[in-house]
Amino acid sequence: MTYHYNEAFENPDYHYSETLEIDRSRERNSSFHQNLPESSLDDDSLYDSYEGRSGRGQRNQDYPMAIPMASMQPGFRYSHSASRSTGPNTNPYGNPHTNPSFEYEPELAYTSPSTFHAVDGPYVRRSSDVSDGGSFSQRYNRRQADLVYRMPSSLLRLDSNAETYNKDKYKQEEKLIKNLASMSSRERVKAIQKTPKTMKEKRDIRNKVLMEKTKTFVSSSTRINCCTQCLYKTALFYRRFKNGLSEYLHLLQLWQKTLKVIRGKFGTSVLSYFVFLKWLLTFNIFSFLVNFSFITIPQLIASGPNNLSFNGLELLTGAGYFKKTVLYYGFYTNSTITKTENNSSYNMQLAYIFTIGIYFIICFFSLVYSMAKSFCKNFINLQTYSGSAAKLLCIWDFNITNEKAVKLKQSNLSTQIKESLSEVTLEVLNLSLTQRIARIAIHLVVWVASLGIAAACCAGVYFLSRNELQLLEGNKSELENEAATLVLPIVVSLLNLLIPFCFALFGLIEKFQYPRHQLYATIIRNVCLKISIIGILCYYWLNDVATSEKECWESLVGQDIYRLIVIDFIFCLLGSFFGEFVRRIIGTKCCKKLGVPEFDIARNVLDLIYTQTLAWIGIFFAPLMPAMQIISFFIIFYVKKVSLMRNCQPPRKVWRASQMTTLFIFLLFFPSFTGVLSVMAVTIWRLTPSKQCGPFQGLTSVIHAVSGWIHVLDSYSSSKWVVWIYRNLIGSVHFFFILTVIVLIITYLYWQIIEGRKIMVRLLHEQIINEGKDKMFLLNKLRALQTSKLDPPKGEQQERSSSSYQPSRQDALQMTASLERPFGRNGRDFYAESSSAGIPEKTGLSPADEEGHQPGISETLALALRARQQAEWEMEDDDEEDFRP
Amino acid sequence: MGNKQTIFTDEQLDAYQDCTFFTRKEILRLHGRYHEMAPNIVPMDYTKDPDVKLPIQLIINMPELKENPFKERIVEAFSEDGDGNLSFNDFVDMFSVLSEMAPRELKAIYAFKIYDFNTDNFICKSDLEKTLNKLTREELTAEEITLVCEKVIEEADMDGDGKLAFADFENMISKAPDFLSTFHIRI
Repeated sequence: MTYHYNEAFENPDYHYSETLEIDRSRERNSSFHQNLPESSLDDDSLYDSYEGRSGRGQRNQDYPMAIPMASMQPGFRYSHSASRSTGPNTNPYGNPHTNPSFEYEPELAYTSPSTFHAVDGPYVRRSSDVSDGGSFSQRYNRRQADLVYRMPSSLLRLDSNAETYNKDKYKQEEKLIKNLASMSSRERVKAIQKTPKTMKEKRDIRNKVLMEKTKTFVSSSTRINCCTQCLYKTALFYRRFKNGLSEYLHLLQLWQKTLKVIRGKFGTSVLSYFVFLKWLLTFNIFSFLVNFSFITIPQLIASGPNNLSFNGLELLTGAGYFKKTVLYYGFYTNSTITKTENNSSYNMQLAYIFTIGIYFIICFFSLVYSMAKSFCKNFINLQTYSGSAAKLLCIWDFNITNEKAVKLKQSNLSTQIKESLSEVTLEVLNLSLTQRIARIAIHLVVWVASLGIAAACCAGVYFLSRNELQLLEGNKSELENEAATLVLPIVVSLLNLLIPFCFALFGLIEKFQYPRHQLYATIIRNVCLKISIIGILCYYWLNDVATSEKECWESLVGQDIYRLIVIDFIFCLLGSFFGEFVRRIIGTKCCKKLGVPEFDIARNVLDLIYTQTLAWIGIFFAPLMPAMQIISFFIIFYVKKVSLMRNCQPPRKVWRASQMTTLFIFLLFFPSFTGVLSVMAVTIWRLTPSKQCGPFQGLTSVIHAVSGWIHVLDSYSSSKWVVWIYRNLIGSVHFFFILTVIVLIITYLYWQIIEGRKIMVRLLHEQIINEGKDKMFLLNKLRALQTSKLDPPKGEQQERSSSSYQPSRQDALQMTASLERPFGRNGRDFYAESSSAGIPEKTGLSPADEEGHQPGISETLALALRARQQAEWEMEDDDEEDFRP
Repeated sequence: MGNKQTIFTDEQLDAYQDCTFFTRKEILRLHGRYHEMAPNIVPMDYTKDPDVKLPIQLIINMPELKENPFKERIVEAFSEDGDGNLSFNDFVDMFSVLSEMAPRELKAIYAFKIYDFNTDNFICKSDLEKTLNKLTREELTAEEITLVCEKVIEEADMDGDGKLAFADFENMISKAPDFLSTFHIRI
């Protein structure tokens, strides 16, 4: 057996290889027995030590045959039996798990990096050198690539002495500090923050690093001391200033407290709705600021007085008085606004088109950015885990702080687990062919029905809106006309409110294998409905209203959108009143079976996406639409919050918040934002703006404003580059053709790379499994060899262990006295010792155990190592004995 | 400003800032919370780094932790002496790791510690059983529990040793994107 073999082991147990060293250095102080006086002294400490030791023993895997890996009990039995060989000992602690006084010993968290710099530090690091393949240490190194103090791989160090530990530790720390000192201050702070150590150690390291820095600083440049100090001070001042600033910025963030409360009461899933709402709100605030400052303020300066009368209905219809305000496209002038004093001029046409264009470009990039980031974070590992592991260990929402919510969550979890267990059994039941066909047929029918409903809605909305357009031409009173315009938005909002319920009913007929699929299907249907309604409205606006030769058709479209948004907002309020408040009263008072309503995240988020799409379309026709959005989102936030707190309970189903958020951002981008962009493109490039009003009156299309400007620029020699860019890049088909080709090529390349990586991942995964099998095989062989070798000299071995260990017991006792913690290094020595002493006995005692029980790899591995050592000792012992008379 | 000076020196605050994900103000707020729990024990003046520790019983009664089924484990995982007593440093450390800013790797390390009930550096079956009991208020039958635990181990155990080492755990977490947002306690 060579040491190279060790390198192959991918096992964290290798961290215990230091026990090998100690064993090998033959400091046989048999400290195992030290637990006897200890236990008699202090129950607690005994308990501790037992707990720790058995844990450690498991880790050491010294006696795997006796330890079915998941339970500690046999470990205790073992320590009994081990101690029986030297003296009677009764262990009063049968099962450590149930003991409430169980105490956590951080030193025990042995491989965990948090203790890397504690007493155990060097061992762990050393062991990571020893077993370069050790999975844990490897990933530790990977994680802290910048901090890592990898010593030259030194397998031989296995043989080195215990005294070098401190030296090594010191060296490594020095190296780490040097490493840190060489970084820029920002990186250093980040690295220190990331270090999983206790605060004291972190501060220690930080101070040392700072000392190191100043030392090198001083030694290298003593002369410019004053200057450097000055620099230092300014740097410090800058940092403090920045921190202060960030604190104030933090204050600016909206609703921190409310969000915390929601998080505490309803968990992350419901919170994701509110975070999404807030995110949309920032979009709107930004767009409002841009529009207001670049379009509205100049217009306000130039505009004349408004002489239309105001009655309350305008707030609903958006017509009447509002027609002649900055709210709508039609009010903006096409002239250049000139201040006579200094002759500076402001071209309204260009301001209008550039502001909106640039806003959309910024929106596009920020959407793409957040989408990509979210995808990268949440969909890296698409190879699906059925997720019971993650379900168990990652599911607890640590944010929840409300007692009721905790209880609810717990009972939800238990039903979920029960469901998933029954699913497992269900999956085994294979559906017959007819059943399967029936299922598929039902799906098909439901899909056709829902798409049909959506199409019917679209047709209805289209004809209604055309009718309304003709109705407006009829000679009726102004008020009647205004009231009539409200019919369309009310119908649309009603459809938006009622059809989703209809879709939800379909869910009762359909049987999905996973509830998740049902959620996806419902979302897709709702999106289809909403987007097609918006699509048909856009078609009506662009095809009918724009060509209707009406005065100021842009303002009409703006009014339509205004009404749609306002009515939708009212319906949203009504929805949360009837859907949640009344529903709760019914659920708690009349019909107890219904219970408290759940907060439907998907429906609410889709509503938000719908209004946001409308608002985006409206920006061109009514530049102050974002202001409306801001107000409505503000109110919706509070209404939803109150309604949620009063009426709702968190959703019972698992809501994969991150993945669903990604999906929603994607939905916001794909049908919604891209649709808006195409509507904008048609408006700007194809349609003729109205002749009597608006900034673009008199032009054949909006984009002519820009081309006209370029013509003007052409005459100035200083701005030739703008003209060149416009002609050759923006206005050129070839440029976009080439760009598209390049983008396509890059996409293809990346796609291929991804495919390659997938194959690589699969191979690596297979390799891991194979390595595991290899290990199993080798270790089984080793074990067989070991048992065949150790069995015959059993009696001799036992005799020796009891005789030769006896004298060193005194040393062990002294050592314990000097130890505050039972698991200092000596504690570990003791482990190695005791267990190694125990092995032959154990193997002798329970061969049956060994047969029946398949030990884990790590256990086997440790056993194999132990066996090797044992064999080596034996040989050495034999040699020594040969010399004895 | 004068008030600030009496609690921490600038130097201390800088050190805390460098070592945690908090700003000065948040650290002062944390001190306030820490002080609030035991005004008699915890001094206002921390300039000399007094050696004060609060017992676990006080810490787990914080509203942020009170209802958490893993509260004891959380506190124990961050306590330097392992008994669950938290010094102010440990306290800051705890909320730093649980804050929004902490990276996934750091969170994973401590989450592993929290779920490793018997501190043997593996999440073994008994740990999973305990976790499950805490998650469901012991509503499941013993059979169901063993079934779930077996499934979990079978799913997440990469090297086939029948328990989850840290590598297994981290691999699993990398596939659960919600972990980052749920392993988070806001103070």
